Amino acid sequence: MIMSDEHDHHHHGHEAPEALDAGSQALAEALGSSFAIVKIVMVLMVLAFFGSGFFQVGPSEKAVILRFGRPVGEGKSVLLGPGLHWSFPYPIDEVVKIPITEIQKVTSTTGWYFTTPEQELSGEELPGGASLNPAIDGYAITADRNIVHTRATLNYHIDDPIQYIFNFASASNSIQNALNNALLYTAAKFNVDDILTRDVAGFQDAVQGRVTDLTDKENLGIIIDNCQVQSVAPRQLQDVFARVTEAQQNQSKQINDANTYRDKTLLNGAAQASAITIEAATASTNYVKGIQADAKAFTDLLPAFDMNRNLFAQQKLAETMAQVLTNVQDKFFLPQRADGQPRELRLQINREPPEPKPTANP
Amino acid sequence: MKRNTLTIVIGAVLVVIFALLLFTFQVRQSEVAVVATFGKPTSNLTEPKLYFKWPWPIQKVYKYDQRVQNFEDKFSQTLTADSSMLLTSVYVGWKISDAGQFLERFPGDPSVSLPNAQSKLEGMLRTAKSAAVGRHPLSDFVNANPQDLKFDEIENEIEQSVQDDLRTNNYGIELEFLGFKKIGLPESVTQTVFARMTSERQVLISLAENTGKSEAQKIQSAADAESAKTIANAQATATRIRAEGEAEAAKTLPIFEQNPDLAVFLLRIDAIKQSLNQRSTLFFDERIPPFDLFRNMPTNAPGQ
Repeated sequence: MIMSDEHDHHHHGHEAPEALDAGSQALAEALGSSFAIVKIVMVLMVLAFFGSGFFQVGPSEKAVILRFGRPVGEGKSVLLGPGLHWSFPYPIDEVVKIPITEIQKVTSTTGWYFTTPEQELSGEELPGGASLNPAIDGYAITADRNIVHTRATLNYHIDDPIQYIFNFASASNSIQNALNNALLYTAAKFNVDDILTRDVAGFQDAVQGRVTDLTDKENLGIIIDNCQVQSVAPRQLQDVFARVTEAQQNQSKQINDANTYRDKTLLNGAAQASAITIEAATASTNYVKGIQADAKAFTDLLPAFDMNRNLFAQQKLAETMAQVLTNVQDKFFLPQRADGQPRELRLQINREPPEPKPTANP
Repeated sequence: MKRNTLTIVIGAVLVVIFALLLFTFQVRQSEVAVVATFGKPTSNLTEPKLYFKWPWPIQKVYKYDQRVQNFEDKFSQTLTADSSMLLTSVYVGWKISDAGQFLERFPGDPSVSLPNAQSKLEGMLRTAKSAAVGRHPLSDFVNANPQDLKFDEIENEIEQSVQDDLRTNNYGIELEFLGFKKIGLPESVTQTVFARMTSERQVLISLAENTGKSEAQKIQSAADAESAKTIANAQATATRIRAEGEAEAAKTLPIFEQNPDLAVFLLRIDAIKQSLNQRSTLFFDERIPPFDLFRNMPTNAPGQ
């Protein structure tokens, strides 16, 4: 209708230019220019409508386009990374931005005593009181009903973004609860010494296993990369726990020492034993050989002895004396007294050999 | 004419856009919606897509978050079956499963109805939790024996009880999961636990000290005994070897028997050689051969 009006007006202008007064001409001009403005506005509105489809995704967030409510894309491709993107404006498309990065991390909240990050960094943590205040101090109860402090950090990545984003109001919160639960549950199965010293890795694996089970069951759409667990004895009992460790270390040291002693003793014993048998064998062989040599010498000497006993004996004795006198260190010849009386001789037995005087150092 | 067609198209697009904005709405993947016609819920929309509606005031759309919501109850004291006081807190994941029912039971905008629903849920949790905890002794909560640990069973009991309660009351809510978030002991009990733990540690310390000593001693004396046995065996072997040697040597006896005088003489000669081998001092006079040669030679005896 509007369009035809405009046409009519044009037509009139041509047919009777004279008939128009100044007023209607001004009106026609005004109408013409306002229609032009309306047209420009309409074009701008359409442009603005489609232009509003541009949106920016920041460095630590992802975006998902919903077309008539459904995510556009399959699996991980629904997530749009940082940069400029375009979608149809509402009500066709809708953009949902999610503040997630590549690596996701949650920390447990209920197993540790009250402390602040500043205190932990400076190492000036407050000593524990006589008891634990349940309102502020967290802990877990072990299978043997001891109290331990334990905390875990879980790293995971999102495997199914649609599940993670559109089925959970706060998936990371659900994961954190699962982690807290895993610490409680696992501690309830383990004895305190296993958690703290004997099976630290086993405890950590069990916590990770429980978290994996829970997040799988709850269908959170994540894959767990790893889980680090840290556990300590209550601060109030740290001294006595340390003494147990020390005593146990001493115990293994004592046993190690004993084992070393055993090895040494057995080696020594074996060495001695072999020395004894070897010595005996050598001595025996030598003895037998000696006797046999003597026997041979005897057989050789027998004809000479039989020939002239006295001469043989004299000869042998003289030979022996010569040999003996060569070897003997001190020799004293005591001729018989002229009166035939025996000589009196005084001997100092075991005299000390004279010590060489040490040369004085200048 | 061309200009006019363009104008018509642009105008039509605008009309369509306004009509869409006025007569349609989207239900997102994460949402569930209820359309109320003149205030009465008439349809329940869970499928994510574009829907038509009459503009207000004929129809009004209530949209709810259909995602799993986290909620946890207060850390509260409960008695176990064996009268231990236990502090527990449970977390749940819950969601609106039937938006129509939910709107009926919790009318109004989500900002009003959600807190109402949560406080309802908290009441149910508290009841179900104390009932379940009260049915189990403490040994069902913590136990080194996997068969005796009833941790999961207790959680399931609470979850089942709340789930049943939600269903029978038609709240339009269901639980997705439930678990213990925190388990603790009253403050005064922690002190007695500490005392018990300390005495258990003392036992471990003295055990380690004593077993260390006794184990070490056991090992050492076993080693000593074994070593002594080895040496004794070696000595026995040595004796046997010597005996064999002597037996061997004895075989030469008949040779010496040919002339015992010579044999004895040779032995004596040998004995002299052996005994006067080294570092010995010998006194002799002229009666001993070969020094008897010195006899009757002039001496410078004192007094002469």
